[in-house]
Amino acid sequence: MITATALTKSYGNAPVVRNVSLHCEPGTITGFLGPNGAGKSTTLRMIVGLARPDQGTSTICGRPFVDLPNPTRVVGTLLDPSAMHAGRTGRATLTIAARMAGVPTTRVEHLLDVVGLADAADRRVGGYSLGMRQRLGIAQTLVGEPAVLILDEPANGLDPEGIAWMRGLLRDFADRGGTVLLSSHLLHEVQATVDHLVVISHGEVVASGPLDELLASSSLLVRTPDPEALARALRAARIAYAPGPDQTFTVDVVDGRVTLEIVARVALENRVLLTELRQSDSGGLEELFFSLTAGTAAHSQEAAA
Amino acid sequence: MSTTMADSVRAAQAPSLGMNFPGIPFGRLLRVEWGKATDTRAARWLLIAVAATTVGLMLAPIFSPSSIDQSYTSYLGFAAIALSILLPVVSILTLTSEWSQRTALTTFTQEPRRMRVVTAKIVVSLILGAGAAVFGGLVTAAGLGAAAASGRTLEANLNTGLLIAFLLYVILNVMTGVALGALVHNSAAAIVASFVLPIGFALLGRASDLVADWLDYTTAFTWLLNGQWSGHLVQILVAVLVWVAAPLTVGLIRTVRREIH
Repeated sequence: MITATALTKSYGNAPVVRNVSLHCEPGTITGFLGPNGAGKSTTLRMIVGLARPDQGTSTICGRPFVDLPNPTRVVGTLLDPSAMHAGRTGRATLTIAARMAGVPTTRVEHLLDVVGLADAADRRVGGYSLGMRQRLGIAQTLVGEPAVLILDEPANGLDPEGIAWMRGLLRDFADRGGTVLLSSHLLHEVQATVDHLVVISHGEVVASGPLDELLASSSLLVRTPDPEALARALRAARIAYAPGPDQTFTVDVVDGRVTLEIVARVALENRVLLTELRQSDSGGLEELFFSLTAGTAAHSQEAAA
Repeated sequence: MSTTMADSVRAAQAPSLGMNFPGIPFGRLLRVEWGKATDTRAARWLLIAVAATTVGLMLAPIFSPSSIDQSYTSYLGFAAIALSILLPVVSILTLTSEWSQRTALTTFTQEPRRMRVVTAKIVVSLILGAGAAVFGGLVTAAGLGAAAASGRTLEANLNTGLLIAFLLYVILNVMTGVALGALVHNSAAAIVASFVLPIGFALLGRASDLVADWLDYTTAFTWLLNGQWSGHLVQILVAVLVWVAAPLTVGLIRTVRREIH
């Protein structure tokens, strides 16, 4: 379980993180989404005690990270796959982590297999590709058999196959009761992986909640050859609507109280012919996210990836 | 992957179990830091270079009996100087590589009580220093043995006090490296400083007696090595304060407080 409450931090006069709160439950994968420079990494660093918040607190499994007696037994952290000693082999890197955690070094061999680095284990990390370092970093987070994972941009440098592999690994981890918090600047990258989202922009949380709720359309689209009759029927049923182009109406779902079935029934009872009835293509989150990322470096990175 | 019985048991227990793991014992930190200080190719070459320098400099008194004083202390002095060249670099790297290689990001999430990690690094440096001093003593003995075998008469002027002074000299040189590494956090800058500062202060010492007597730690440590305690004890202590205690204190505070990106 990860809880952050009102984390706030400035560097000089520049606020980087403002009042960020988040809560990750066991069994869930939370995506921490935002354009580059939105404050994701700073927030994660505050949660794991590498940066001090000006205000606010955070806990892992109920305790501040820095008070965990042996942190890697509780939480696996991967903040930057390039922050590894270039002169050490993959196996040596994991062995150090295993010794620190106090787990048998036989676990190292198992993890090298799990992340697909068994053949590269005796090569120096300096010769690894970013994707290989990312895999080694994932193995390192798993060394202490933690209940929580915190990963900063774990999909960076992974090919589509690698991303699918990691998706399965994280899903399995969460299904066994683990808690995952991962950051990303690409909505599409995390959409298939996470079940909760926290969206951050300019250091502030702009949306958060279960993924399906955030992605759910907040309105229905109805089309009829007889707009006047439908408008009358909706008014009679006290359903709010807004006329759109091409004989359509947009109907607000009012937090789920107005459903497709209710609208269909109103039309049936009033003998109004409908030619279309469905959720609107809102993708409210997507619109929100692209409005946040528009014109930022995120786009060029996406194009390059 | 299907969920097995073992998986569900682990899932149910993992979060609560995690909280009850004991802290990392200092002995374990020490073992890990010892490994880190010696497990890379660069570290091994550096230790080989320290040994080679010591053996190499020991050849000087053996092959120049006419110009170099043929005494036990003279031979031991060559070992001391040889160790003071590269051994501080070993200590510097032990402290700075976490920052230069950015592994601090990992290390301090493994043990957030940073002071314990740095203390382990300092102890590792001291162990390496003590080991190097013993090695220097053995090389000296070998050098003296070789000289004696050639039929020379050697002045046996060593005593326990001078041997302790030799050990302290080596350890203090190690500690100047530790202090610089703790303070500077950048391998290249700290190594350059460790070579430039002694030369710089020796040169300044020619211009100012005040600098020569109080701030030139090469001179102060040499008084220590030669057993010239009387009259220089305060100067030696000032050198230790200025070149070891002060930078180390500031460096430790900086290390504990520094934000890691």
